[in-house]
Amino acid sequence: MTATPSTTTATASTTTTPVTHRSAARRIAGYAGWELLRNVRMVESTFFIVVLPTVLYIMFGALSSWGDGEAGHGNVSAYNMTAMAVYGATMATSAIAGSAAIERQQGWGRQLGLTGLGGSGYMVGKILVALGIALLPIVVIFVVGALTGARFDEGWMWPASGGLALLGAIPFALYGLAAALLFRSEAAVSAASGILVVLAFFGNLFMPLTGTLLTIAKFTPVYGIASLTRWPQLEGAVVDTSGGAPAGDPLWAIVLNVGAWTVVFAVLCLIASRRSTRRG
Amino acid sequence: MNTAASPTALHATGVHQHFGTGSRTVHAVAGVDLEIQRGEIVALLGANGAGKTTFLDMVLGFTTPASGTLTVLGESPKTAVSGGRVGAVLQTGGLLHDLTVRETVAMVAACHASHIPVDAALERAGATGIARRRVRKCSGGEQQRLRFALALLTEPDLLLLDEPTAGMDVRARKEFWETMQAEAERGRTIVFATHFLQEAADFADRIVLMRAGRIVVDGPVDEVTRAGHRTLSGVWDGARSPEEVAADLGITEAVVHQSGRVRFTTEDTDGLARVLLSQGLAHELSITAASLDDVFLDLTADDAPEAGPQTGPATASQAAPEAAGTSTARPTPEGSLP
Repeated sequence: MTATPSTTTATASTTTTPVTHRSAARRIAGYAGWELLRNVRMVESTFFIVVLPTVLYIMFGALSSWGDGEAGHGNVSAYNMTAMAVYGATMATSAIAGSAAIERQQGWGRQLGLTGLGGSGYMVGKILVALGIALLPIVVIFVVGALTGARFDEGWMWPASGGLALLGAIPFALYGLAAALLFRSEAAVSAASGILVVLAFFGNLFMPLTGTLLTIAKFTPVYGIASLTRWPQLEGAVVDTSGGAPAGDPLWAIVLNVGAWTVVFAVLCLIASRRSTRRG
Repeated sequence: MNTAASPTALHATGVHQHFGTGSRTVHAVAGVDLEIQRGEIVALLGANGAGKTTFLDMVLGFTTPASGTLTVLGESPKTAVSGGRVGAVLQTGGLLHDLTVRETVAMVAACHASHIPVDAALERAGATGIARRRVRKCSGGEQQRLRFALALLTEPDLLLLDEPTAGMDVRARKEFWETMQAEAERGRTIVFATHFLQEAADFADRIVLMRAGRIVVDGPVDEVTRAGHRTLSGVWDGARSPEEVAADLGITEAVVHQSGRVRFTTEDTDGLARVLLSQGLAHELSITAASLDDVFLDLTADDAPEAGPQTGPATASQAAPEAAGTSTARPTPEGSLP
């Protein structure tokens, strides 16, 4: 930055001395910090992203009579714990991406466009925020899980499952973005969160599905990332409470599900953004 | 300023901008030449859709001209803006409702490479009293003060204000321009878009008027506002038609017949009145000078004569060939652009 803001116009008092130079990295960090604060402070969204999944885990995992039962390389509590971490993380990324698009449509992007943040700085900042907020439910639920009897057979499964939950939440940023770009309203982002609850049900996150429902579920988006996150513990096995022979999913099928839905969401975003610019 | 910066705040040559393709192409800006020196206070006037916002968007680096060159403070618009040398009060929208006024300024400050202290910006914009208020609860005028505080954060050399007093009541409007006056005295270049000629006349040194994407008037405030016409109306008694009389007297403006009265538009209403009264052609005469608003309406009307009061520097519009038909194809409302 060669030109520091004018100081010769300072007939001005000493209070107007410009603050010293701030690097691009510090600008992004400052922006991301403010965004994190805003997001955590929004009680409603924090409730759905962190509190609700944690409570659900405690109810169906920690406090349940079957919580200590074996499930793959861990127990049922751990199985429920990763499920709720996936739920919270996807809620987080879809909501943040959606609200980012709405903010831009409402002109906040123009305001930031007048700063030294830059378009790429904005993107990097938002990604950091989305990942940070998605990490929040994962960490909280894993800590609560560790304290309430969730058990993996091996230690590496904790960070591996957590990392996969975070990774799997990324396509759902595209999901939230697509909803916001297509329908251009706060309500659309809320509706997308609502639909995400249904998808989470089909994703086998709330109760073990069987029969036809399970067959349908395998083609839905949350199912893929849920199975991926559970891979360290279950290696594709499907927990079946009806006692029938568990029908597992091969890794390729899970990866195909995640890949295909990522492409679907990305294409929806592209179509939506083309349409919105054409409409001008 | 420690830079050997160019003396011009804004320099535009043959700037064009259009949206859409094929037959639906809208030439929002159709050949703008404009030079603004440092320290000038310029009002950019025009009706909705005249191309003001589209032009300012290019000055702010949000969009790039389809053709032509545009420099801001001797640099490309993007460079000047990201360096904090340009401050802008944008049209409505663009604030986060969950933040307080002070938080908003602090957050935007964090995104700048350098800036004055947050409280200093609030104070200058007259927003200290509402610093702790949530943006959601601020009135339109208070939100404009906040936007103004954001614009002042980097001590910009050039301030762009896009309809800064929209949504303000009379008192807020007055206070805003008083604050603005203080900034002007600091030597900043100020360019503001407005609908109100009165505001332009009160505050600017120079008026630039856009219509259908081009600059049709550019000159000192006095000259532009003096250009208003006068009208004379009365009840017609004459045997000859008013049109014949008008032609005899060399009045080129069309004669209007309205609710039993005829109305002439001319510079020399006194001379006309003398003729009409002495020859018994009309009675119940009434003469009115155009108000500033009438002048504005006149100048911005789509069918206004192209050769309107071309005053001031030779920066007036250079009719762009492809813009010939734009007076019928109105540009879309501003602000709906992505």
